[in-house]
Amino acid sequence: MAKVIAIVEDDLDQRENYADVLSSHGYEVRCYADKADAEEGFRTALPDLALLDIMLGEDMDGGFDLCMELRNRSPALPIIFLTARDSDTDRISSQRMTAWDYITKPVSLEFLVARVHALLKIAEQLKSQESEPPVSLLEVDQLELDENSMSVRWCGEVVSLTLTEFWIVESLARNPGHVKTYDVLNDVTRQGLVERNTINGYIRRIRNKFRLLDPAFDRIQTVHGTGYKWAKDLG
Amino acid sequence: MLASRNKRRKHREPGFRPKIRPGLKIRTKLLLLVLLLLAIPWMGYKSVREMENFLLEGQQQALELTAQGIASLLGNRRDLFALAAGVPEVLGRPFYIVPQDLIQALPVDAAAELWAAAIGELTDFSGFGLFECNKDYQPDSFALRHGLGAHENSIFSFFDVTDDSVIFRDPEKIALDHNDQLRMTVQDKAGATQRYLLTAQAEGRLSIYRMKRNWREPETGEALREIVAVMELTSWGYAIKLRIPGDYLGTGSRLKFELVDVDDKRDRKIEKIISTEPDPFRYDTRRIRLMTPELAKLIQPLYLPEGNITIWDRYFRLRAELGSIFPEDARLRQLRLENPSFLDRVELAGISLYEWVFRDPEGGDSDIPDDSSREDRSLLQKVLAKGQGETSRRRYGDARLIVTAVPIWAQGEIEGAILIKQSGNKLLALQYGTLRRFTVLFLGVFLFLALAILIFSSRLTYRVGKLQRETELATTPEGRLLKDRIVAGARASDELGNLTRSISLMLQNLGHYTRYLEKLPDTLAHELHNPLNVVNSSLENLQYQHAELTDDKYLQRARNGINRLRSIITSLTEAVNLKDALIQGSEQFERFDLAALVTSCVEGYQAANPEQRFLVQVFPGTLLIDGAPDRLAQLLDKLVDNAIEFGKKDGLITVTLHRTDTQAQLTVANQGSLLPEEIAERLFDPMVSSGKDARRTHLGLGLYIVRLVADFHGGTVQARNRRGLDGVEVTVTLPRPDRNTRLD
Repeated sequence: MAKVIAIVEDDLDQRENYADVLSSHGYEVRCYADKADAEEGFRTALPDLALLDIMLGEDMDGGFDLCMELRNRSPALPIIFLTARDSDTDRISSQRMTAWDYITKPVSLEFLVARVHALLKIAEQLKSQESEPPVSLLEVDQLELDENSMSVRWCGEVVSLTLTEFWIVESLARNPGHVKTYDVLNDVTRQGLVERNTINGYIRRIRNKFRLLDPAFDRIQTVHGTGYKWAKDLG
Repeated sequence: MLASRNKRRKHREPGFRPKIRPGLKIRTKLLLLVLLLLAIPWMGYKSVREMENFLLEGQQQALELTAQGIASLLGNRRDLFALAAGVPEVLGRPFYIVPQDLIQALPVDAAAELWAAAIGELTDFSGFGLFECNKDYQPDSFALRHGLGAHENSIFSFFDVTDDSVIFRDPEKIALDHNDQLRMTVQDKAGATQRYLLTAQAEGRLSIYRMKRNWREPETGEALREIVAVMELTSWGYAIKLRIPGDYLGTGSRLKFELVDVDDKRDRKIEKIISTEPDPFRYDTRRIRLMTPELAKLIQPLYLPEGNITIWDRYFRLRAELGSIFPEDARLRQLRLENPSFLDRVELAGISLYEWVFRDPEGGDSDIPDDSSREDRSLLQKVLAKGQGETSRRRYGDARLIVTAVPIWAQGEIEGAILIKQSGNKLLALQYGTLRRFTVLFLGVFLFLALAILIFSSRLTYRVGKLQRETELATTPEGRLLKDRIVAGARASDELGNLTRSISLMLQNLGHYTRYLEKLPDTLAHELHNPLNVVNSSLENLQYQHAELTDDKYLQRARNGINRLRSIITSLTEAVNLKDALIQGSEQFERFDLAALVTSCVEGYQAANPEQRFLVQVFPGTLLIDGAPDRLAQLLDKLVDNAIEFGKKDGLITVTLHRTDTQAQLTVANQGSLLPEEIAERLFDPMVSSGKDARRTHLGLGLYIVRLVADFHGGTVQARNRRGLDGVEVTVTLPRPDRNTRLD
């Protein structure tokens, strides 16, 4: 059975473009133009994944409201924010509402489809994980990466990362000590062309999340002018 | 659109500065206005002067009326002016007694006690303060009591002398001036002066000679018989009884006595002289006054305060006198101030300040001479000659004297005249008192007003100054808004408060507008994202559905265009995001090595731009600073981006890091075109750029980001053309941590 993807986007053109590409990849797509519409649709049936714009018409934070509602109903539903807003405040809000990913416009449809794939796979994995033990696990010192559920643990504690952030951490940790240049990291984020500063922003947020658990965390090191690397454990 | 706005801004430079007219400050102006108040005391002074004239006029008329009244009262009373009615008098002092009208003639042989009793009250003359008595004069060694009486045509004079040693004349000596003696000076009606010496060889009859001016030799050797004098020794000295025939004196003549004392029998020098005339130098003789008790009684009820009424007969003999022009209560004024009230104290303080400006007119009484008979006489002469009343006002120093004279008629003939003198000073003093109080009051009010205006104007100046300072501080010299309100004085309800609020409102609106302008790129970017996303996703769908178009050149160009649009939008939002992040404090400072950061960054730039030549000049060792390394790397990115963009294609880019004790100095220099003069100051403002290349984006946000980061680190940034070389260098100065806390 085809997975159901809900798209909430007030711009008809963008909504239709998303719908076209996703349905051509074999997903069932339900489109909503505003909050009320979407709420009603969600009441009838929950989608398998939701793609939300934050600003819906006049409603500045309509996407956040919908996210909360969906999260209340289904704790494990993958939610992606797809928005033109690129402020730290919005990112932090989306994180608080446990959205799985936060992508800023303009988005490459190719990467969007890839993300949707990845998240649906993770969701599936999480469901089956209740019975099976984790399969694919990357361990670097105190860091544990579960590539299937895309979960990260530091010293045994879960670090709550978005999809993009997970990909960056995974990329860095896979080759400890190797410098990942901005270009490499740019590809890893699967967003198309991003500025260095966007990468810096991701790294800053990742560091902050680790430091919440371990204030002395300093494994992600800056190589100024070049990129970042995961430092080997010296101890 | 943005570029055209920049052009317009350029045209407005340089700013309009009005030429300032030279002028006074508000405080000076207000104080000058206060000075105008000085016109009030001037007016007051003028009006008091007018008042003075007016009052003197009134007083003069009153005096004339009084004089005329008295004149008519005394008219047709020939009996009062009869010679027999008068009693001649020696007047030396104001307390002099009216000569006794004797009941009978006194024989010179009668006892001294009898004379003393008949003459009545005697006047004391001591030698104190008088000429020809030395300083150690004792009144019990030499003193005189003198009385004068009249009967029929004879004048009787009695002298009671205290003398500790009585020296009689030595007959062997020819000179007559070496023993105790009495000298009598008479000026007769014709004005001739006669000197008579009364001297004794023993007790009893005195020899009387007419003397020369020197009182040593007699005019003729023979003694006079008409004048009779007898000396009688007493236990305290001696007494002299003297009878002078009335013919000797005559009408209008003057009489003076001098008592001479010699104490040493051997050298016989004159020790002391007591005169019945207090000031023997002023006039050696004076006119006899023929006082008429009847007249005195008549004018008694007409007493004038501080006025002197005299009645003269046609021979210029004084017949009656009443009152003195000198105030009786001279001492009262001082008594009044012995228990001064607060107001009096203030007044006194004011007076001492004022007294060098105005002299006390009542003090001017002392300027009136004791005797003004010469002027009186000329006035009387006029009156007696013309038979008309005459008035004159005299000034003696500060004193004003009003003198009026009116003839007294009897049966169509002028019998005499009445002369009234009154000092105008009492009334004037009243006016001066008013003037004085007014002056003190005015000075108080003036000082108070001046002080109040000074305080007010200081406060005003202070407020205006504060407003000015705060307004100036609200923007940087480049026109950047630092604050959007003015706090000082914004709550005042006056016009200045309104001005403050207006400026505050203006700044607020300007702030809104500035923020709107600063937000504009972000808003613009946000608005552009959606249509861009539409284009982008549509292109992708197009490509997806028509796989054969993947390598279509138009599709490729469309993608290139989209990518350029994206990079424009990203750079638009970068500055705003950075600003928000810095304001929100999400950046954390850490201590790191700036030298390592710079070196490593430049390596990255070299790798990314292989066609450009880079030179790093960093001294060996570390340069620790406190800051956000990501942001400083971003700053360096922007500086180098700029250097590349505006530099020559294969030019050298030099990155230098200097350090001083307190600062780290990062300079990025390129080779290439110079900075246009007109934007040098505003280079670090948003949307200012000198770029001209159409294919590249020049939003002018790069150096704005540099400034934001530098500001955030408490540093400064400066751009200038390199000296002697083509190219521009930008220097960022950052503070270093305290020497105490750094370990390098």
